[in-house]
Amino acid sequence: MHEVSLVQSLLNQVERLREAHGGTTVTRIEVEIGPLSGVEPVLVREAFDLLVADSDWPAAELVIDEVPLSARCKQCDATFNIESFRFECPQCGSRAVNVTRGDQFRLLNVTLETPQPMESPA
Amino acid sequence: MTTTTRTIPVNRDVQAHRKQQAAEQRDAFTRRGTFVVNLVSSPGAGKTSLLEATARYWGNSRRMAVLVGDLATERDAERLRPYVPVEQLTTGGACHLELSLIQQGLQRLPDDDYEFLFIENIGNLVCPASHDLAEHLRVALLSTTEGDDKPGKYPKMFRTSQAIVVSKTDLLPHVPFSVDAAVADARQIQPDLAAFSVCASTGEGIADWCRYLDHERERLFGSHMAEQKVDRT
Repeated sequence: MHEVSLVQSLLNQVERLREAHGGTTVTRIEVEIGPLSGVEPVLVREAFDLLVADSDWPAAELVIDEVPLSARCKQCDATFNIESFRFECPQCGSRAVNVTRGDQFRLLNVTLETPQPMESPA
Repeated sequence: MTTTTRTIPVNRDVQAHRKQQAAEQRDAFTRRGTFVVNLVSSPGAGKTSLLEATARYWGNSRRMAVLVGDLATERDAERLRPYVPVEQLTTGGACHLELSLIQQGLQRLPDDDYEFLFIENIGNLVCPASHDLAEHLRVALLSTTEGDDKPGKYPKMFRTSQAIVVSKTDLLPHVPFSVDAAVADARQIQPDLAAFSVCASTGEGIADWCRYLDHERERLFGSHMAEQKVDRT
């Protein structure tokens, strides 16, 4: 169970983004998890709930986008989804395929609240 | 002052920074000619035994060192110490090794110009699959007592490995395990996997395994170590 360590890293990255963009708080964090990302969505959510409570923005919401495993065939260039970890091109049967999506735990978007300067009078 | 909501698009691998650090450390290993092997398996599959057999086979003909990870104890390091420089990395409960632990272990090894550095990972086929330890080669060990249906259950580990080593082949007459089935199952996930069968206690298959390591190192670094090779067959 290494989700705690990866979610802590995620929260650190979000905090750096908040600082860089002058946000007062973080309201929403959107991540992508695929079948080969090495993390379990359920455990990521548990780790997030645990760790966000100790952060400076405990009300931030986590949105998990679960994506399928996608690949491109090196032989015929077909793109397809991989089911049950069968790394085989449905078009030409080649097993030389490159995974294009679903093998990472990705940070997609971060929603911040930022102070809005008062409109200066015309 | 009012506030406004802004969504910042990031779209980046959470581990991008760690992967970059691993790539830099790998380059450093390559520059000093150290070929790094990350050995992964479930607990008790025979990682330490394979390293003992490898060290015995090579004797003094290769400069090798080992970093061995466990949750607790120095037991594996003590087993390997008669043969090679070794440092134990204890994680205190963490289920995988991280690059920072490897870098600390490197500082404690007596030299920095090994031809082969083996990292014996924590016994676990799940979490270590997601952590790049700056290795050149990831090898998954599977023992005959674990069952030949295991590769398909741990797809990330076998997808990210370059070789599978089936260990404890001396037990094959006593267990329902087919080496061919295990390798075929693993190659459904990663067709490019090299495959070896070994018995560390009898030495069976160790020569092929060691030849493969030499070959992979030479393929990556060039043939400047060829004259040191000792033919023991």
